[in-house]
Amino acid sequence: MKKAFNIGLIAFAVLTYLVLIGLPTRLEGAAQPVLALLLALFVYAVLRGQAKELGRGALLQNGLVIGLVAGLLLVLEVGFFTGLLADGVKIQPVFDKIVPLNMAALLNVRAGTIIKGETSIVAYAILTAYLAVAGLAGTLLVLFTRSNTAGAVRSVHIPGGRWLTILLPFALFAFIYYLGLDGVNTFGNDKNIVRLLIVLVATGAGLFSLRAAEDGIEKLIVSALLAAALLALPFVLNQFQNSVMNIVFIFVMMGLGLNIVVGYAGLLDLGYVAFFAIGAYVYAFVAAPFSSPYISALLTGMGISPASPLLGYWSAIPLAMLTAAIGGVLLGIPVLRLRGDYLAIVTLGFGEIIRLFMLNLGDLTNGPRGLLQIAQPTLFGVAPASLTSHLDAQGWIFLLAIFGSALVAFVAIRLNDSRLGRAWVAMREDEDVAQATGIHLVQTKLLAFAIGATFAGLAGQLYAARQINIFPENFSLFVSIDALALIIVGGMGSIPGVVLGALALKGLPEVLRGVDEYRIVTFAVLLIVMMIVRPEGILPSARRRRELHSEEMAAPVDKDEQLEGGRA
Amino acid sequence: MEKQSLSKTLIRLFGITVVALVIWRVVTVGLAEGYPASFWISQGINGLVLGGVYALVALGYTLVYGILFMINFAHGEVMMIGGITGFFALQFAAAQGWMEGSTAVVVAALLFILLAGMLGSVVTGVTLERLAYRPLRRAPRLVPLISAIGASLFLQYSVLLIFGVSPHSYRKPDIIAGGIRTGDVFIPYTGLIIFFASILLMLSLYLIIQRTKLGRAMRAVAEDKDTAALMGVNVDAVIVATFVLGSALAGAAGVMLGFHNTVIKFNSGFIPGLKAFTAAVLGGIGNIPGAMFGALILGMIEALGPSALGIPTEYKDIIAFSVLVLILIFRPSGIFGEILSEKKA
Repeated sequence: MKKAFNIGLIAFAVLTYLVLIGLPTRLEGAAQPVLALLLALFVYAVLRGQAKELGRGALLQNGLVIGLVAGLLLVLEVGFFTGLLADGVKIQPVFDKIVPLNMAALLNVRAGTIIKGETSIVAYAILTAYLAVAGLAGTLLVLFTRSNTAGAVRSVHIPGGRWLTILLPFALFAFIYYLGLDGVNTFGNDKNIVRLLIVLVATGAGLFSLRAAEDGIEKLIVSALLAAALLALPFVLNQFQNSVMNIVFIFVMMGLGLNIVVGYAGLLDLGYVAFFAIGAYVYAFVAAPFSSPYISALLTGMGISPASPLLGYWSAIPLAMLTAAIGGVLLGIPVLRLRGDYLAIVTLGFGEIIRLFMLNLGDLTNGPRGLLQIAQPTLFGVAPASLTSHLDAQGWIFLLAIFGSALVAFVAIRLNDSRLGRAWVAMREDEDVAQATGIHLVQTKLLAFAIGATFAGLAGQLYAARQINIFPENFSLFVSIDALALIIVGGMGSIPGVVLGALALKGLPEVLRGVDEYRIVTFAVLLIVMMIVRPEGILPSARRRRELHSEEMAAPVDKDEQLEGGRA
Repeated sequence: MEKQSLSKTLIRLFGITVVALVIWRVVTVGLAEGYPASFWISQGINGLVLGGVYALVALGYTLVYGILFMINFAHGEVMMIGGITGFFALQFAAAQGWMEGSTAVVVAALLFILLAGMLGSVVTGVTLERLAYRPLRRAPRLVPLISAIGASLFLQYSVLLIFGVSPHSYRKPDIIAGGIRTGDVFIPYTGLIIFFASILLMLSLYLIIQRTKLGRAMRAVAEDKDTAALMGVNVDAVIVATFVLGSALAGAAGVMLGFHNTVIKFNSGFIPGLKAFTAAVLGGIGNIPGAMFGALILGMIEALGPSALGIPTEYKDIIAFSVLVLILIFRPSGIFGEILSEKKA
C-alpha cells in the first residue's frame, strides 16, 4: 500500500513533467486519453515485477491507488495553475508552457473557460477518473499477460508464425505499390504521411523477415525479393517520402561506419560528425567551387573558371573518401593511447573543433553563409530524374543511398568476418591481452578510425548532394549523437540493427512531425532506458547479447569483473 | 617493443610540432602586438575568476570519478540547473525587495540565492544518480557513459522546454555591481567574491574529505568498494553523499556563473562542463587539489591564450579543447598525477 502510494508519487512527477513541457497543448483533444495510456503503460511496467508475489485483488488495489494518487495530485496541481491563470497571474516567465491552452487541453474544456475561471468541478473529476481507470487498466494488462505466461509456454506460438514474419513485408510493399499507382504526388497531406509510415514499417519488417528465413535457398530468395522491393521504392514514392527515406539511408551508411568504430572496435567516438562534414565539404569544394571565395580566387589565379564543377559526383567519391580517411588517421594518431571515457570526450572536442573551423574559416568555407548550389550526381552525364517521370531528384538520391548502404554493409560484413574484424573484437575486449596475442594495436586502431571515417565521408558526400546547400549548422554535435543513438537502439555491432535504428530514429520523427520539438528529449530518455533495460539493442548481434547478459547466467559478479568495469 | 616505439614516435612527432607552432606563434604574433602590462594583469585576473568557477565544477567530476570511475557527463547540466534555480531565487528575492535593503539584508539574500542554487543542483544530482547511474553500476564502462550522455541531453532540453528559449538574466544588486580600480587594472567585486567564495567552498570540501568520518568513508569507497562494504561502510549512502557534495559545489558555480556572465540558459552548462572536465584531467582526475589548480591554470590559459596567440577570441573554446587533447596525449595522469592511477593499470 505504501509502495503503491510512492509509485503514485513517481507517476505524478512524470505527469507533471509532461504537463510542464507542454505536451497537452500539442495533443489538444487527445490529451486525456494519451496521458491515461501513458499512465497505464507505466503502471504495467512497474507492477509487472510484482505480479508473482501479489494476488489479483492486491494488484488491482495497487493499480487503483497509483492511478488515484497520480490523478488527484495532478488535479490539485492543475487546479492551482488554473486558479492563477484565472486571476491573471502570468506563469509563463517561469514555466514557459503553462498557458490556458495547455490547461484547457488537459481538462478538455475551452481556453476561454480557463481564462474566465469558469472551469467546473466535473472537468476535474473526469480527469481524475481517466487516470484512476488508467491505473486499473495497466493492472488488468499485467493480470492478462500473467495468465498467459503462467504456463509452460513462455512465448506464444502461432502456427506458421515464421512464414507470417517472412511474408509480412511483402504484403506491405505490395500495398505501397498499389497506393503508388493512383498517381498522388502532392506534398505533405495525411495520405503521404500514412504511406511513409507503411514504407518505414515494411522496411523494418523486411529485417525480421530476413532473420526468420532459413539459411540457404530460402534466405537467398527472400533477400533477392526484398532487394527488388526496396529498389522499386524510389520510383513509386513521391518527393517528400523519398527525401525522408534517403536521409534514413544516408544515416544507415553513417551508422554502419560508426558501428565499425564503436561496435566492432569498441572506440567510443563522439566526434564522428567531423568525417561526415569532411566528406560533404570536400564534395562541395569540387562541385561548387564558386561558392568558396578562397578556392574561387585560387582557380581564377590558375586560369580555370570556377563556375563549373571541377569533378563530377562519381570522380569525387574517391577524393571524399580519401580525405575523410586521412582525417580519421589524423584523429586516430593522437588518441591512440586513450581508452573509454577519455576517448569519448576528446573525440567530442574534435567534432566541435571541426565545426568551429567551418564556422570561422570564412575564406575557405564561406562561414555561416555556407556553400551553395552543389552539383547533383548524374548517370553518364545525364540527370536520371529527367529521363523518367517516375523518378524525382530525391528518389535518385534515395537510390544512390540504397546502393551506398548495400556497399557499406557488404564491406562491413566481410570485415567483421575477417582477421581484422576479429582483431577489433579482441582489442575491444582487452587491449593488453590483444597486444600480447600479437595484434598490432596502432595499425588496428588506425584502420578502425580510417574505415569508419571513409564510410562517413561517403555518406557526407551524398548528404551534400541531397542538401544542395550546406551550412556549418548541418554538422552539429547532434549528428554524432543521432548516429550513436541509432546504433545503440538498433543493437551495437549488428548490421540489421543499424538499419532498424535509422528507420526508427530518423524516419519515425518525420511521421510524427507535430511532436518534433520533443525529439531530443525522447532520444535522451530512450538512451537511458535502453542502457538500463536492454543495453544490447533491439536487434543485437549474437555475441553482444551473450556479453551483456553473461552476468544473469553466471554466478554473481566476482571482484575481477568489477575491476574490469572500473578500468580506464 | 617495435609497436610501442612506432606509436610513441608518432605521438612525440605530433607533440613537438604543436609545441613549436605555439612558441612560434606567441613570439611572432602575441608579443609583437605590444599590449601594456595592465592588459595582461586584467586578463590574468579574469582567468583566475573563471578558474575559480571551473574548479567548483571540476571537483564534482573528480569526486565522482574517484569513486565510481565514471565521467558524469551531465555534471555541467547539474551546474546549469543550479544557475536556473538561483535565477528564480533572485527573482523571488527581488520581488520581496530584499535586493534594495541594507547591506546585511542584501548579503543574506545573496546567501539565500546561493543556497537555493545549491539545493536545485543537489536534487538534480541525486535524482540523476538514482535513476540513470545506480542501475548501471556493474555494467560495462560504455553503458553508464551513454546513459550520462542521455541524461545530459535530457536535462538541457527539458530546461529548454519547461523554461523557454529566452535566456534568464541575472541582475546584480548595486552593492556588488562596482569594483576596485588600481591604475589601469579593474577588479569587479563579483570577481573577488566568486574567487574567494570558491576558495572557501573548496577548503571546506577538503576538510570534509580529510577530517570527517564521511570523508574517510568516501576515501575508503574510492579505494575499494567491496572491502569498504565489509568494513561496515554503507557504499550506496557514500555514493549519494558524493553526488550531494559534487552537485552542491556545481550549484554554487552555476549561481556564480550567472552573476559573472549575467545570463543562464539551457546550454550554459555544456561548454563550461567540458572545460571543467578538462581542468579535472589537467590536474589529474581523482586528485582534489589537482582539480583546483588545474582549473586555475585552465582559466588563465583561456583568458590569456587568444591574445598571446594573436587569434580571435571566438577560438578560445578551441584552445581549451586543444589543452585537453594535449594533456591526455602527453600526460594522461595530469600535472599532479592521478591519485588512483595504480588501480587503473
